[in-house]
Amino acid sequence: MGGVCSRKQEGDTDDRPQEGISRKYSKKSGSLKWLTSSLSSPMINFHLQNGECPSLLDLCVRKISQDIDRYSSMSMLPRDMSQLIFNELVRCHRLTSASLEVFRDCALQDLYLGEYSAVNDSWMDVISSQGSSLLSVDVSGSDVTDYGLTYLKDCKNLQALNLNHCDQISDYGLKDISGLTNLTSLSFRRNNAISAQGMSNFSGLVNLVKLDLERCPGVHGGLVHLQGLTKLESLNLKWCNCITDADMKPLSELANLTSLELSCSKVTDFGITFLEGLQKLSMLNLEGCLVTSACLGFLAELPALSILNLNRCNLSGNGCEKLSYLRNLKALNLGSTGITDACLAHVKGLTKLESLILDSCKIGDHGLANLAGLQQLKCLELSDTEVGSNGLRHLSGLSSLEKLNLSFTEVSDIGLRKLRGLSSLKSLNLDARHVTDAGLAALTNLTGLTDLDLFGARITDSGTSHLRSFKNLRSLEICSGGLTDAGMKNIKELSSLMFLNLSQNGNLTNKSLELISGLTGLISLNVSNSRITSAGLHHLKTLKNLRSLTLESCKVTANDIKKLQSTDLPNLVSFRPE
Amino acid sequence: MKKEDTVKLISAEGFEFVVDKEAAMVSQTIHNMLTSPGSFSERQHGEVTFPEISTTILEKICQYFYWHLQFASGKETEFPIEPELTLELMMAANYLHT
Repeated sequence: MGGVCSRKQEGDTDDRPQEGISRKYSKKSGSLKWLTSSLSSPMINFHLQNGECPSLLDLCVRKISQDIDRYSSMSMLPRDMSQLIFNELVRCHRLTSASLEVFRDCALQDLYLGEYSAVNDSWMDVISSQGSSLLSVDVSGSDVTDYGLTYLKDCKNLQALNLNHCDQISDYGLKDISGLTNLTSLSFRRNNAISAQGMSNFSGLVNLVKLDLERCPGVHGGLVHLQGLTKLESLNLKWCNCITDADMKPLSELANLTSLELSCSKVTDFGITFLEGLQKLSMLNLEGCLVTSACLGFLAELPALSILNLNRCNLSGNGCEKLSYLRNLKALNLGSTGITDACLAHVKGLTKLESLILDSCKIGDHGLANLAGLQQLKCLELSDTEVGSNGLRHLSGLSSLEKLNLSFTEVSDIGLRKLRGLSSLKSLNLDARHVTDAGLAALTNLTGLTDLDLFGARITDSGTSHLRSFKNLRSLEICSGGLTDAGMKNIKELSSLMFLNLSQNGNLTNKSLELISGLTGLISLNVSNSRITSAGLHHLKTLKNLRSLTLESCKVTANDIKKLQSTDLPNLVSFRPE
Repeated sequence: MKKEDTVKLISAEGFEFVVDKEAAMVSQTIHNMLTSPGSFSERQHGEVTFPEISTTILEKICQYFYWHLQFASGKETEFPIEPELTLELMMAANYLHT
């Protein structure tokens, strides 16, 4: 089978190399998002749900991984077989520098070691022994140094290289990458050492499509070296607070650029003027930049622009008229800006909008009338606004709406009735203190719900009976303290649940753990601040898919959890107390 | 057991395993051989020869077929695999789409 040309991999998505560690650390604790993101990665073959029969191939792969010490080499296996075994070892964190040796010269294509902090230069020899077969390497978060990168010089077919959070890599190491001209994707997130000088090594990477320099504070002045990389489609400069208007000038040549992230840089309205030639630019992220309403006029010149993030920009109530020019927008984030009810009149005509974020804006019930005609809207975030029950009637006709966030609003039970017609709704955030059991009762016909956040809503045991209507729930949070073990009788029926947060319910006991022990699909469970004790942990043995377990402020120690992890919960990667 | 309900799987050494068709069809490859209009002899005679699968491995595979059926009917037990067979078994499982 001919190497590069016949590349065909399951679940090989563009996003994959960007996931992993960065997500894990960037999210607030207790968030489920990094877990969901890792669901889509190809190497995490999720443990089978109950009732699904493992194939003989799966069983063999697992068996070999368990007995990996018995083998001295996998090189007699076809490439795709050894790749399966490699992936399984990574998945269950069994790969060591010793077992890695088994894969020397196996012609493997993909080495995703992004979650392996043990990786260092000594691993690079075996990694590079895959030679011209090697297509993608992810050693993010490792101790690989500039010296380690010299090994990659001969892996000429390398297409994707991820070196996120590798803080021992500097400008010096970039020299060894400069000859890897088949690279299409390169990622160096969170690297303090890379400077403009080192970036000169990128100028020969003419096939580069995607470059990620998120959180690299030293790259100011380096973008001139990207000028010739005309295939570049995606450039991530998020959190590079060194980036200024001057850095925007070289970007004006990159005619194929479709995605540009500049969040939290020093770019102002003037910098935006350099982007006007980017006819293909469809995604622009200016979150937290110093731009004002004045940039809207320049943005209107970008014909392909469909996703625009202006979160935390200096947009004021005045001068927002030009929002109405951005007619091709499908997603608009105006969160934490000075947008008011009056500004929403200029959003009214953006009928292609599928996602609108107005989190923490000074908007209320009156402004929502402008949204009533946005029939394509699938996602609407109104969290932390002055929206109350009266405004919800303007939303009742948004039949495409799949995700609605009403957390920290004034919405109360009486308004929730207006949401009954939103039959497409999958995700609903009602983390609002005026919502109670009665509000939940009004929503029982929303049977398509998969994610329901009732974190601060005042839900009690009797309210949980309404949850039975939501058979498809994957994620549920109820944390206002009103639940007791009695409520678990209803929650245990939600057999699709993967994420469950019941923290802050101080009356929950080990009995609750027993009741939910049948929820074998659970990936994440949080029952912090409850009366759970270590004696109850054995009820969790059945939760083989569990990856995250949080039991803070319970009578449970890290050692208790570690014991359970080693005997019964092989997939557990994150737990608290730790 | 009626003849048309069974199928004969023949190993590299010529050893014959007569198994229920239902069990053999757990393998997608065998399923295709026995049902696709293009494969005449296998379909006609209910016989499949595997010149590259040894008797030991084919026996293990037949055991898996029946284990799979049991599993599907709700009896979830562990399927034992001897370490010395695993690599060869894996390659055969891959070939048989099992």
